[in-house]
Amino acid sequence: MRLTDASVAIRPRTAWEALDLGTLMARRQCGVLMASWALITLPLLAVLTAVLWKYPLWALLIFWWLKPAYERLPLFILSRALFREMPTLRESLKAFPRLLRPQLFASLTWRRFSPSRSFDLPVLQLEGLSGSVRSQRLTVLGQRDSGAAAWLTFSGLVLEACLYFGLIALCYMLLPQQLMDDLGWQKLLQESGGEWLWLDHLRNWSYALVLMVWEPIYVACGFSLYLNRRTALEAWDIELAFRRLRQRLTGSAYALVLGLVLVFAMPAEHALAANSCPPPAGDFNPYTDREPDDKARLTNQALTSSQAKQAIKDLLAAAPFQNNQMVTRWRFGEEKPEEEPEEDDPDKVAEFFEKLFKLGEGFGAIEMISLIFKVVLWALLISLLALLIWRYREWLRAFASRLGLPQRAKREAPAMLFGLEITPESIPDDVAGTAERLWLENPREALGLLYRALLSRLLHEHRLPLKSAHTEGEVLRLVDRLQQSGLSQFSALLTGHWQNLAYGHRLPDATVRDQLCNGWRQQFSGQEPT
Amino acid sequence: MSEQTPETPRSEPAPAPANPNLQRQRASQLAAALRQELQKALIGQSAVIEDVLTALIAGGHVLVEGVPGLGKTLLIRALARCFGGEFSRIQFTPDLMPSDVTGHAVYDMQSEQFKLRKGPVFTNLLLADEINRAPAKTQAALLEVMQERQVTLEGRALPVPQPFLVMATQNPIEQEGTYPLPEAELDRFMLKLRIDYPEAAEEMTLVRQVTRSSRADMLDVTPLRTLLQAKDILALQKIASELPVDDQVLDYAVRLARATRTWPGLALGAGPRASISLVRGGRARALLRGGDFVLPDDVKSCALAVLRHRVRLSPELDIEGLSVDQVLQQLLDQVPAPRL
Repeated sequence: MRLTDASVAIRPRTAWEALDLGTLMARRQCGVLMASWALITLPLLAVLTAVLWKYPLWALLIFWWLKPAYERLPLFILSRALFREMPTLRESLKAFPRLLRPQLFASLTWRRFSPSRSFDLPVLQLEGLSGSVRSQRLTVLGQRDSGAAAWLTFSGLVLEACLYFGLIALCYMLLPQQLMDDLGWQKLLQESGGEWLWLDHLRNWSYALVLMVWEPIYVACGFSLYLNRRTALEAWDIELAFRRLRQRLTGSAYALVLGLVLVFAMPAEHALAANSCPPPAGDFNPYTDREPDDKARLTNQALTSSQAKQAIKDLLAAAPFQNNQMVTRWRFGEEKPEEEPEEDDPDKVAEFFEKLFKLGEGFGAIEMISLIFKVVLWALLISLLALLIWRYREWLRAFASRLGLPQRAKREAPAMLFGLEITPESIPDDVAGTAERLWLENPREALGLLYRALLSRLLHEHRLPLKSAHTEGEVLRLVDRLQQSGLSQFSALLTGHWQNLAYGHRLPDATVRDQLCNGWRQQFSGQEPT
Repeated sequence: MSEQTPETPRSEPAPAPANPNLQRQRASQLAAALRQELQKALIGQSAVIEDVLTALIAGGHVLVEGVPGLGKTLLIRALARCFGGEFSRIQFTPDLMPSDVTGHAVYDMQSEQFKLRKGPVFTNLLLADEINRAPAKTQAALLEVMQERQVTLEGRALPVPQPFLVMATQNPIEQEGTYPLPEAELDRFMLKLRIDYPEAAEEMTLVRQVTRSSRADMLDVTPLRTLLQAKDILALQKIASELPVDDQVLDYAVRLARATRTWPGLALGAGPRASISLVRGGRARALLRGGDFVLPDDVKSCALAVLRHRVRLSPELDIEGLSVDQVLQQLLDQVPAPRL
């Protein structure tokens, strides 16, 4: 194997680039690859079709199962083509039986479903490794690019399916409509009939055609992945660079050797003399003859070394070499100079922010600011929600009750009902007595007190669910539902008089007073602390 | 108690009634008798009868809605039978013209001049059957007569006889080929009644009576007595309109009508005609009840019929499948009743 003869540029690539290279390789040799593939697979399929005529699915399955066996031939052709030793069709077919031999059983059984099949094949076939050596090698190779190999197999699966179904669909589209109808009926009528088996076999053959196109590409892609991995592992590109260097320099090497011989042959005598005398001052070798800087030299001349050094220093400090400028600017605090990023370098900016944060940590300012922002933002959010709820409160009141939310039943009795104060505290203990006393001076107030007290009792003792929307008539109907005839009668009487007074503006008679007050005492005497 | 509403003092000198209380009692008895008579004809729909009588006493028009076969037309015919005045019926059809309702001028060959032929609208009780089957222009022929109680024919305004009551029926299903009543027309009806299926026991009575009748499939209204004449109705209306209404009750009626305008479930609220109808309806109810003054109960009991055709449901609730009645019931449960 001579790397210099490789037909592709050898350099480390990414896995996807390597796959691209594989496609290119397959395209270059597509003629031989596809022809050789067809020559070995199609006869086999023909045999399978003939043998398994009744079982087209089995024929397809076996044909598909044997794929790793056929893949060895494209790899052989590609490996030869890589080093410009393109085999002819005849040569490759002749070589095929020899290629089949090693580890065929393993390839067709437990390695059949390996996702990195195309990537592993070169190890077996080109390196000829087997057993534990092979697996070690695969472990090393598979450290990179094995993922890409698996993806290659998967996308190959998808691509095969696409092409296969596309081809079938194309065939069906080309069928005339009359034949289609006939076909449908025939299929329906003769489900198990043998007349239509050729159609299934036709499908098998279309799959073989698909494989003819795709498989060389698949093998080539796996091979290029393998090449890429070896290029990286064994530094083929560096080796190639060295070889090219050697090639380039082989011609001039003789001249160089001749020159060197001349150079080293001539000063043989010189060397003896050179040992005895010190080197001349002008022949200054910076690596060997370096003097310490502070040592004063050339002391006998007009310009001593120290003076010269000083002059050089001055010169270097002057305008074209140094350009110092004094800039005066207001700075914020002591630490500010640190915060200024010198350049727009992203690293520097990041560093600046880190420094800024570190700086803030010193007095907890950042936490403080973030806390303030947090509080402000939360407050904004909450107030926004509150505003929304307030804005749509009517809507919510109308619709929220219909959402079926578990709502706590309001059992708190309202303090004011129908514009009347009806809390037990606002009612005097002796209702009847107070009413009797009030009746003389203000009958309206007395009747109002009785009615209020009645409502209060109904609400707090009989637990009637009274609402402010209830009219007097509805309250009476609710009282009737309590099934207490005495209470119902009394309530009806009191309500009637109350309505007469309130809406009819009619003052009750004096007899009504005793009737109502006695009725009240009768009705609520048990609870009345007289 | 000094706060007396203006209506309360019974001091109109004009009719010089012997005793307003006695008169009121007689009116109530008359109304009760009428109710009884109607209940004989229309079995199991006492609420609807109550509402129709409310409209009759309040002088408003009624729109009755219900599926076929519930006795909408029967009710009106029975009422016409009990009432000695004129009754006419218009079957609304898609090709009915406005002049078929109001009347028109025809050329008389003998006298060689135009003679005015009054339409069926010149009557006391007008039954507009299936009113939504006629197009809008024919429906609009009723607008003037319903509000102004007059018909303008050939440039002359002709008053219709008093009392005048339009009772229209319509069918809520079978909307194909119907023309929904415009808002202006709807607003002129004082009440919109819904006739629903009768209770089981009442339906049994109904079936028993109908099958006993000589006319195979409908109730006979001929045996009903004529109880009152046109002037009786006018008297009833007058007595009802003089019933005292407390300011609080008036306020309640107005609050109910106003609440529909801001209620979130309603896209369109009721206008001032609704408040007026509520108070008039409350008065009529009070008279029917035999009361001497109007209670909040009277207003509340006719609120649904007064409001249901004057509001429009918001689209959200409409999509949810809520009916106007449900939303209005919610409203009635929320608006505080007066209680001083």
